[in-house]
Amino acid sequence: MARASAETPDLSGVWIPDVKDQKRQEIEITPPWKPEVLKQIQHLVAEEKAGRPFLVLSHCMPHGMPSWMLIAHNAIEILVTPGRITMLGEGDGNRLRRIYTDGRAHPEDPDLTFHGHSIAHWEGETLVIDTVGIAPQAYIAISEAAGIPNNGDMHIVERLHLAKPDVLNDDLEITAPKVLTTTWKTTRIFRRYPERHYEITEGECAEEDLSAGKDEFGNDIFIPAPQGPYGSVHVVK
Amino acid sequence: MRMIEMLPRTILLAASLILSFGGMAAAHHSNAAYDLDNPKTMEGTVKTVNWTNPHITFVVEPDVKTGEAPASWVFEVSSPGVLTRSGWTKRSLQPGDHAVFRYAPLRDGNPGGFLLKVTLPNGQELMYSLTPPADQ
Repeated sequence: MARASAETPDLSGVWIPDVKDQKRQEIEITPPWKPEVLKQIQHLVAEEKAGRPFLVLSHCMPHGMPSWMLIAHNAIEILVTPGRITMLGEGDGNRLRRIYTDGRAHPEDPDLTFHGHSIAHWEGETLVIDTVGIAPQAYIAISEAAGIPNNGDMHIVERLHLAKPDVLNDDLEITAPKVLTTTWKTTRIFRRYPERHYEITEGECAEEDLSAGKDEFGNDIFIPAPQGPYGSVHVVK
Repeated sequence: MRMIEMLPRTILLAASLILSFGGMAAAHHSNAAYDLDNPKTMEGTVKTVNWTNPHITFVVEPDVKTGEAPASWVFEVSSPGVLTRSGWTKRSLQPGDHAVFRYAPLRDGNPGGFLLKVTLPNGQELMYSLTPPADQ
C-alpha cells in the first residue's frame, strides 16, 4: 500500500493558483484539439474578444476536472489525512476532490461526477493521481470563456510535486479521445502563502444572486436580487 | 399616443424578464465583459456594499456637476477570499465613503466596470492581488 510517510512532502495548506501563468498558457499554448473542436474554441475566443463571453462557469456548477486545476482563480485547501488527500475549493462548497491513497482501485462502473474518481500513490516525492469517471459535460477549459465538454471517456493523470517549499507543480496528462487528438500535457502552478499564513473564506456562488431581506414574520432570509444578462453583477441592488 | 409611448417600455420589460431568467444562472462569469486595456478613473460616493461570492460589487454614485442627473454605477471586484488575503475587510469601503475609483469599463458602455484600485480621501490606496508574492 502506498502511504504518506516521513519522506513524503507535506502538501497540506492553502494554495493559490498562479493566474499569471494560466493567462500565459491561455495565450501561448493550444491544446491538441481535434480540428472540428478547434473551430469551436476559436469561435469562443472571438466571442470573448467581442465582449460576448461564453460562460464556462454557469449555473454555479463546479469547475469540474480538469478545469478546476487549469483555470480556477480561487484558493484550494489541501488536507492530508490517513488514506486520503482532500482538495477543498474556496470558490463554492461544491469544489471538492477526494483522492484516495489507501491502495484501493477505481470502481468498475463509477458514477460519473464533475470531479471523477481519484486514486493516488507516491512515487518518491511525487504524488501520482489517476482520475476516471468524469461526467462528459465537464469542460476542458483554457479560460473562463473558452472550453469544450470532454464528451466522455476522459482519463487524467497528475503528478504533484513541490518545485520549491511553497510552490506546487501539477503536471497534468489529459486524455480525452472525443475532443483531443492526443494526450494534452500541461503544468499548473500553485503557491502556498508564506509562513503558512493564510485566510480562506466560504464562497457560495449563488449568494451573489441574492440579497439579504426579511420574510413576512421578520425573519432574516435571502431574496432574489435583480438580474441582468450577467446575473446580478452589473445590476444595482 | 400614451399607448404608443408605453409600448417600448413593455418590450423592454419583457426583454429584461427574459434576461433575468437566464441571468440567474450566470453568477460566475468571465472578465471579458470589461475593457482591461483602457482603465478609467471616477470620483464618487459608495451607496451599497455587496460583500458576496463569487464576486463583490460596490454600487457607486459618481460626482455630478450641477444640473446633471445622478446615476448608479456597479463596480465588480474579485472575491471576499482574494480581498481578505490582500488586507481588505467588509468595512474597508462603506456606504457614504467618497473615493477615487480606478476601473476597467464595461465594453458595452453600460454604467459599470471592474474595480482595479480605490483611493480614499486620506490618500490610502485599497488594492488587491490574486497571488502571493512571486519571490518564493
